[in-house]
Amino acid sequence: MNLAIRCEDLHVQLGGQEILRGIWLDIPRGCFLPIVGPNGAGKTTLLKAILGLVPITRGRIVTTEAVFRPAYVPQQKTIDPIFPVSLRQIVEMGLYPRLGWWKQPSLMDRRTVDRVLEKLGLIEHQNKTFGELSGGMKQKTLVARAFVMGAEVLLLDEPTSELDEPTETEILRILQELVKQEGRTVVLVHHGLHQAAALADCLCWIEHGLAALVNAKDLLAKKTPPMAFR
Amino acid sequence: MNLFHEFPDAVIAGLLIASACGLMGLWVILKRSVFVGITLSETALCGVALAYLLHIPAMAGALTLTLASVAVVAFPLEGSRLPRDTLLGLMFLLATSGAILLVARSGFGLIEIKALLYGDLILTSRRDLLVLAFVLVPVSLAQLLFARPILYAFLDRDAAWVMGIKVRFWQTFFFVGLGLVISLASKVAGAGLVFCYLIAPPAAALLCTRRLRSALILGIIFSSVSTLIGMSVSFRYDLPSNPTIIVLTVLLPAVIGGLRMIFQNG
Repeated sequence: MNLAIRCEDLHVQLGGQEILRGIWLDIPRGCFLPIVGPNGAGKTTLLKAILGLVPITRGRIVTTEAVFRPAYVPQQKTIDPIFPVSLRQIVEMGLYPRLGWWKQPSLMDRRTVDRVLEKLGLIEHQNKTFGELSGGMKQKTLVARAFVMGAEVLLLDEPTSELDEPTETEILRILQELVKQEGRTVVLVHHGLHQAAALADCLCWIEHGLAALVNAKDLLAKKTPPMAFR
Repeated sequence: MNLFHEFPDAVIAGLLIASACGLMGLWVILKRSVFVGITLSETALCGVALAYLLHIPAMAGALTLTLASVAVVAFPLEGSRLPRDTLLGLMFLLATSGAILLVARSGFGLIEIKALLYGDLILTSRRDLLVLAFVLVPVSLAQLLFARPILYAFLDRDAAWVMGIKVRFWQTFFFVGLGLVISLASKVAGAGLVFCYLIAPPAAALLCTRRLRSALILGIIFSSVSTLIGMSVSFRYDLPSNPTIIVLTVLLPAVIGGLRMIFQNG
């Protein structure tokens, strides 16, 4: 199997408490994988451990890429609306790995940004500041920034929380298209088990700091969380 | 007789301090670190007082204590039992009271103590000006040059880190620059005026524009213009320079905010 990310015996301890207790997980390339589980189970911690945002106490993350640079989509409330930056400037932040601190975006870079903004229906709002956008547009802006990065793997932390249902459906559809049309890998923390099961064939169920890949249909049929890995 | 002819060093020093603080103050406001600004200003003052007592150069005292405070401010406090604001509050109290206690032990007269605690731009010496120019110009240019990674590190810390931006480095880079500017500027212009420059002109700029670049430029223009007008008014009417500049500068965001409200409601 062509793997995007492998977690080997992943342990994470935060504030003296063990949040992840030995996670073994293979995430295939080109999959759409929602991470689901009860509150406080360690979903976001797992995502942040993969991103390198929290220190790993034991175990390791293995990736096939020489330089593993995924795109990270945080929750839209992460960005302080007081910043006088336009939607376009935030999306252009995704060019930083290519441009660094000094280079200006080339014509091709600007076209890439235009294309992504068009695709996500943001082009008309590109000059608005982040604070002027609706919750859905804010979240789409952060997804657009990840698209512009051109990363193979996208990791999203509850991208649809605090959004209304139509906006949530639209953002999830955009992400699924990304997997189907471009073969990218999308891993997202999701709060709704049933909605996640309707979106993907396979889910990552996480509970008590342990995780397992489970068949979404089986999970829905049994209406109970998987027990095998406990 | 004009102001520049009489006090050229004070005018240039005022413009240098106003520009550097107007520039860095924008980040202070955006990062919601206004309390950091006043705490570092007071710490610098305490350093000056300590320097007088120990008979060492005042700028050295200000610099040492301010950079020590920057080390505390830039230290990651995630998971700490106390919020950063509380720590800053404690530092502020210690610095303010410490400065008064230190000057009380120094044997200075009231005028000297007032000049020390509240500063006076008009008394800027040529030596002060040279030190200011030597430090403030490169620090300000560096902050402009590296505005992109600083913005990204402040805007979205985690995403910036994932993109390969050394968030902690750029945060420390900014705060060390801020510490240098505040410590040297506070010794010359006083903590009150420096704090005013850090807050009022960038606040006025943010009320005028929704673009970062314009806000940076406007912050510098507002602080410089209010300095020139404030110094001229104080010179013309024989008023103390610092309070005159402070009142005029603080009026800027108040007037702009008022005008905005009138036009929005109208």
